[in-house]
Order: sequence, then C-alpha cells, then structure tokens
Amino acid sequence: MAGAFAAPVLSQELLLTIAEQIKLPLLQIARQAEIARLASLPNLDDIQATADNALRLIDNYVLSVRLSCEQELLEMESVSVSSVLYDAGQELSSLAKSYGVNLELHIGGRFGPVMANRLGLQSALVSLGSALIEALPAQESPQLKLQLATHRCRYGIVAGLYSDTEQFTVEALRQGRKLQGSTRQPLTGLTHTAGAGIFVADAILNAMQLKLKVSRHNRLYGLGAVLQPNHQMQLI
Amino acid sequence: MAQILLVEPDRLLADIYRQALESAGHRVVMCASAQSAIFAADEIKPDMVILELQLIGHSGIEFLYEFHSYPDWQNIPVLIQSHVPAGEFAGSWGMLQQQLGVRAYFYKPLTTIRALLASVAEFAPVVA
Repeated sequence: MAGAFAAPVLSQELLLTIAEQIKLPLLQIARQAEIARLASLPNLDDIQATADNALRLIDNYVLSVRLSCEQELLEMESVSVSSVLYDAGQELSSLAKSYGVNLELHIGGRFGPVMANRLGLQSALVSLGSALIEALPAQESPQLKLQLATHRCRYGIVAGLYSDTEQFTVEALRQGRKLQGSTRQPLTGLTHTAGAGIFVADAILNAMQLKLKVSRHNRLYGLGAVLQPNHQMQLI
Repeated sequence: MAQILLVEPDRLLADIYRQALESAGHRVVMCASAQSAIFAADEIKPDMVILELQLIGHSGIEFLYEFHSYPDWQNIPVLIQSHVPAGEFAGSWGMLQQQLGVRAYFYKPLTTIRALLASVAEFAPVVA
C-alpha cells in the first residue's frame, strides 16, 4: 500500500498545521482552569466546549487520513444534505455559544439526495464550522452570524458555511493551501489561527473526490463543497 | 490602577484575560484587530497595551509601527503576549524595545495569568 501513503492528506504540512492549531484549545483550557482557581468560579461549559472542539479536530484529522488510505471506509451513499447540515449544526452549537456566534441553518428549498460519504461530509462541515466560529469574532464581523446553508448551483448542490465578512476569496484560499505548514497563520485574512479545520475539511473532501470552494449564499460569503445530486434516487 | 488596551483575537482568551485583569483592579478595553485597536487607543488613551502579534489582516507588528508613530503614545508600555515564540524576534529585540516601546515579551502557551499580572503590575504606570 505504498501508493496509499503518498496521499496528500498525510502531508507533513497538515500535521504541522494540526499541531499548531491544537495548542489553542489546550491553552484555553489551561487558562480557564487557572482563572477558575483564581476566581473560584469555574466556567465548566466553556471548558467542556473547548475540550470537545479539540477532540473533534483530532478525530476529523484521523478520519481524513483513514478515508484516504482505507478505501473500504469511503463508501459513497445517498445522503440528504439538509439532515447532514442539521447534524453538523448540532455538533457545533456549544462551540458557537462559547464564542458568542449565532449559528443558523438555512435550507433554501427542497433538494434531492446527493452522493457522498455521510460521515465524511458531516465531519468536513464540522471542521470548517469550528475554524470559522473561532475566526468570526476576530474578524470583527458586525453580526457574528454564521449560516450553515445549502443551495443549488450550476455544478450541483453546494453545502457550506457563510458569514457577512468579505475575506473569503479564491485567492485567499489558494494562498492558504500553498502556505499551509510553512507559516503559523496561512489564511491571514480569514483567521488568526493555523486554520487547521479548513485544511482538514479540504483533506476530507479531497478523499471523497470533492472540492472545498469559495462560494456565496444570498448576500453572504463563505466556503462550501459542491455535491452531485443522486439522479437515480430522484427517479424513485 | 491602569487602563489597559487588550488586543487579543481569540474571544475565549480575551474574556479570560479581561476577567483576570479586572479582578486585579485594572480597567480593560478589548479589541480583536489592529485597526480597531488604533481607534480604541485614540478614544480611551490607554496606560498600557497587551498585544497578540497574530491578528487577522494587519499584524501586531504593523500595529506597533502605527501606534508608535503618534508622539502621544510613544511612552505607553506595550507587553507582547503571543503565539509566536520570542526566539523568532531574538535578533530584533533591541528594535522592539527601543523603537516600538515593547517592555516584555511572553510566549502565550507558556505564560500563566499570574505571570502576566505580575508583569502588568511591574510596567503599568501608577494611575490615581
């Protein structure tokens, strides 16, 4: 299986990005514990949300590697996008609350099933969402609102995350992919962190032969995956 | 006690540091970006700045150059508390101190709140 291990998802760059990123939740937990000791008022909700976020990032990274290396895990199935978005929103809700971000679900119309690996798609959206939730207050977004949304486009059905900040550009994403692993902050216009969640989402989608793309939804800006409708299921 | 401008992009960490500084008797204004920090400095006239270098858009170093270009602010002490290890600025520490008003540099992952408060107490000017 030497060929499988050459998959880009196992890159040293992504591993470095994860290592850099994981310092943030660990630092948050350490300081939350210290302030709790000093003030005798532990904020257990924030500590739990932070720890859960770190664990999710590691889990999603492991999934991206396994999906790339173990093809039998990568079963494509007929998936309802709206239910995946709903579940991703549930997973992200406590982190969003900690960061004061208003997370909304927006399904613009009825969509038939798409072809994807359900676990992979949900993990990609959760990874992406975690990274954007952390970044939104730092972008000084006026509304602190993040939409998990889906819409139809020329190439298929897009599922992604959107906000009112304009920093989501094709160039920013291209530069970020290039700088990943060689700089501490590859997406300088998007996030103050290493942006590992974005690159993990990218890796998971790549493993499913999908692409993370800059996208717009209504008047919002964001990142999303273009999914192919399952026409066979729509006939039934 | 001092009026502190805290430039920290991470919302959770900013809340923790604000809480710690306020419990030590300081007044704190938080900003997440270099641009809003300049506007805030103009408004509140801080006695001290605590700065992260990794910001969205303009970096903390860009903020320092801009901040230090105003004569009124040149004597305001700046403490850097950053995810960037101090070793990366080893060659330019003299410049940070002499030209940009940096009094201390802390590597954030290894700096306790207690150490930060001690440094604030050391460098903050005494304000009635």
